[in-house]
Amino acid sequence: MNNEATYWIALAHLPRWGHLKINNLIIKFYHEKKISVEEFFNLSETQWGNDYQLDEKQVSDLRQAKSELGSNAFLAESLFSQGFELIPIVSPEFSKTLKGNLKAPYSPAVLYVKGNKKILEEKSIAIVGSRDASEIALKFTDNIAKLASKEYKVVVSGFAKGVDKQALDSAINYKGQSIIVLPQGIMTFDSGFKKYYSQIVNGDVLVLSTFFPKAPWRAELAMARNPIIYGLADEIYVAESSEKGGTWSGVVDGLRKQRKIFVRQPEPTEKNANLILIQKGAVPVDFNGTVVSKTYYTTVEQVPVIQESNETESIDKKIRSAFNGRPLHVNELLVRLGMDWTVKKLTAYLKKLDFIEIVKDRRPNLYKLKGSEDSPQQRLFS
Amino acid sequence: MTRQEAEKILQQRFKLPKFYDEQWETIEKIFRGERVLLIEKTGFGKSLCFQFPAILFDGTTVIFSPLIALMRDQVKKLTALGISAKCINSEQTSEENSQIINEAKAGKIKILYIAPERQENNEWIEATRQMNLRMVVVDEAHCISVWGHDFRPAFRRIINLVKLLPAGLPVLATTATATKRVEQDVAKQIGGNITTLRGNLMRDNFKLFVVKVSSEDEKLIWLGKNLEKFPGSGIIYTGTRVDTEIYSKWFEHLKISSTGYNAGLDAETRIAIENSLMNNQWKCIISTNALGMGIDKPDIRFIIHTQIPQSPIHYYQEIGRAGRDGQPSYIILFYNPDDKRLPEAFIEGGRPSIKKYEKVIAAVKAELLGEKDLMRRTNLKQNQIRVIKADLIEQKIIRQLANKKIEYIFDAPALDTRAFEELRAAKTKDLGSMIEYVETNASRMKFLCDYLGDTSNHTFTNCDNTGEKKIAVQVTREWTEKLQAFREDYFPELVVESRGSNIVNGVASSYYGVSSVGSALHRSKYENGGAFPNFLVSLVLKAFRKKFGQEKFDLVVYVPPTSSGDLVKTFATTVAQILKFPISHNLKKQRQTSEQKVFENSYLKSDNVKDAFTFAVPEEVNGKSILLIDDIFDSGATVKEAGRLLTTFGATKIAPIVIARTVGGDLV
Repeated sequence: MNNEATYWIALAHLPRWGHLKINNLIIKFYHEKKISVEEFFNLSETQWGNDYQLDEKQVSDLRQAKSELGSNAFLAESLFSQGFELIPIVSPEFSKTLKGNLKAPYSPAVLYVKGNKKILEEKSIAIVGSRDASEIALKFTDNIAKLASKEYKVVVSGFAKGVDKQALDSAINYKGQSIIVLPQGIMTFDSGFKKYYSQIVNGDVLVLSTFFPKAPWRAELAMARNPIIYGLADEIYVAESSEKGGTWSGVVDGLRKQRKIFVRQPEPTEKNANLILIQKGAVPVDFNGTVVSKTYYTTVEQVPVIQESNETESIDKKIRSAFNGRPLHVNELLVRLGMDWTVKKLTAYLKKLDFIEIVKDRRPNLYKLKGSEDSPQQRLFS
Repeated sequence: MTRQEAEKILQQRFKLPKFYDEQWETIEKIFRGERVLLIEKTGFGKSLCFQFPAILFDGTTVIFSPLIALMRDQVKKLTALGISAKCINSEQTSEENSQIINEAKAGKIKILYIAPERQENNEWIEATRQMNLRMVVVDEAHCISVWGHDFRPAFRRIINLVKLLPAGLPVLATTATATKRVEQDVAKQIGGNITTLRGNLMRDNFKLFVVKVSSEDEKLIWLGKNLEKFPGSGIIYTGTRVDTEIYSKWFEHLKISSTGYNAGLDAETRIAIENSLMNNQWKCIISTNALGMGIDKPDIRFIIHTQIPQSPIHYYQEIGRAGRDGQPSYIILFYNPDDKRLPEAFIEGGRPSIKKYEKVIAAVKAELLGEKDLMRRTNLKQNQIRVIKADLIEQKIIRQLANKKIEYIFDAPALDTRAFEELRAAKTKDLGSMIEYVETNASRMKFLCDYLGDTSNHTFTNCDNTGEKKIAVQVTREWTEKLQAFREDYFPELVVESRGSNIVNGVASSYYGVSSVGSALHRSKYENGGAFPNFLVSLVLKAFRKKFGQEKFDLVVYVPPTSSGDLVKTFATTVAQILKFPISHNLKKQRQTSEQKVFENSYLKSDNVKDAFTFAVPEEVNGKSILLIDDIFDSGATVKEAGRLLTTFGATKIAPIVIARTVGGDLV
């Protein structure tokens, strides 16, 4: 497959095509017409148009991608020489779990990996939850990772703070295997490869990314990575979720895709959205991941869910507390809030708030709480 | 495009009348997007086969070339023709390189030469994403093959790259020296329906001689006597760096204009020497084989080897640089049966022991390491580490990352030592063939052509077996005495000058191991042989006078011993008394060090002596010029460290003088 890497890179990152369109094309040339990706790229533009019903825009995208093949070769060589591998969706090495869970509409066309690929064939679990999870959620994560490692199940995690990091550290600690799913291109993870060197060398960790290899971390990529984590796992455990953010939308998305999702049964005093997820159809589990009995669950269900009376008020509160005296860019704020809003939406929302003001003379705009004094950084000269 | 049309452009742009048939055949294939391996002798005009199509393509042609001198040369020529050509290499500043990369991204460069090592550079890889790449050329393509005479690990990545290039993007690989085996290996590695075009390798303007001698002295004497009689200028290849020094000092002694050249020189000096060679400034350049695969001087009139090369293919490559203008050129090989010990040592000892391989594997398995740290962890010499590294990369046991760190590959295979054995057997056989060349009574040119797989038919009348007069060496008393006088007057230099230190280059009275000096030292140091004998004192004094003349030093300081007692102290005291310089005993060790010879590489040697010294009475050296005495000079780390310390205490000049300098690990 490696000699075709140049073509797979071109195909997998066609701008604004989306997984479904790309996968449909792969199904057509690879499975129906039985030609290789190289042969597909070497077809004439007329053939692309007629045999594959591609419109003018799509043909033009492919033409552009084809002209970049030479450059892709340089990238691919660099990629392989660093020990990264590319697994196209048609390869037998491609994770069957991922393909089965996400199917054509959501499966990425290629996986970039480094480490022990065999890990992709093992039974797997994902433990997810918020970045600022409570002590009990982290303990739950540790326990589930321990149990999984004992049963030779691979722990899939997203390399974010909080639950993600705990899941990874625990799996390593209990000598289990793990998959790190990156919110960035695989060639931009140097520090991580250094940190997990011995685990990778020993075959206990596989690092995986679906993004363009040189793409730096971005909030959108972190969001787009969540379905990959869920997709790579046979079982999904939620340690703690708030009512917004990556975990929340990931679980809701998973439930919509008919996945069975286990959520930690919260203590009555906990302030989080675990119960709401359970109400939405997730399965409650105890500290050991055992499904909590229906009767118990029913009684819990009758306990009134702790909900903010007014959603807007809650968001405003979160925004207020996100500023710790320092002005922020919209991007930074979005990350701190852990919300799945677009930059545009949040910008528009901020402009309506009477307690937020724009710091002048900064591009892009910096926002701060009205009346707060701090500049982003002490400056010697201004 | 027809050949006629193309030749019209050729005349306009390159000021050349027409293509050779083989050139046009190659160019046509390139225009069709094919892959070609072109094997043609030096001077044939291989470069035109890619330069011509490159100027007609709407994007950039990238040429991987290992020879910086050649790149510079070609860029100069193309620029003079008004063709936008540039090169990126390690001898330019990174600003210059970045500037060129930007021009390439902007589509302003038609022909871009780069070193294969550049493929390891991130900025370059980033840049290629924005370049309109139209053709890839692999120059000196024999470097791809371990069966060639000059396998280079950096080319492995070029092959991987070529394999990833899309079909229809033309690839041209060129070389002047490839046996059948290398040809097949290269073609297989490049793949993609490659066509091989091979021209004839006959060089009929060569006059080939073999001169059999029975000692090094005979070579020095014959050259001393005859070098000036050769027409024009040329190159003398020696086996080692030390020999380049000895031969050039010998010629200097005889007032024959010459200069030494080796891989240890800095870029600036090398460029200056290459330029002076081009301008016929010297009668000859004495070099290890580091010089000149790429020197494009058409009128090199003679190439003389004082040391038998490892194989006929090495030899053909090295002599190939002579007489590119087609005029008669003298090709002389000296051979003393003892000489084969050096290539034998390269073949036998060139590969480190298996134990050392295992040491490296274990170290890399445990942690991610750079080369320096790997040397520290394993106590191996740099050149050994590099050989091991290259082999382990080849065997897919380790890999080198973009940040130069070396990592162990998950699930790597076990070390395969059979590959080494096979390679060693092949090299031993090649050396055997080279000796056959010496011993043959038949045509020498035919021998070389046959060896290289050139089966075309020629009449050969251009060697000392086929019409030219044989050369025999006559040793006269006059010349023996001249050589003796030179030997007694020749002292190796200690190159230690460095920024931030007032140390100057010093002198040794001899090389360790090439005279009786080494054994005398060894007896005193390690066999309880008593003080250093007197002849060493007179030799050191002679070296002092030769290097420093009547210069007065304010103070003599000597390096305190590690284990051999007061030998150096006694010796330095005697020298100081005779020179009438005061002596100080105040340079002391402030911590225990190990003997430097325990350490195999310069990093560990530097670590060993770092901050090891102290000077008890600093005011004694403040504002003074100092003669620094030690017995043996190896990496220079010790005298450099002492020099650094004395500089901090205010010494204005520190001149090191030692009894012997070791030959050292860097042979070429």
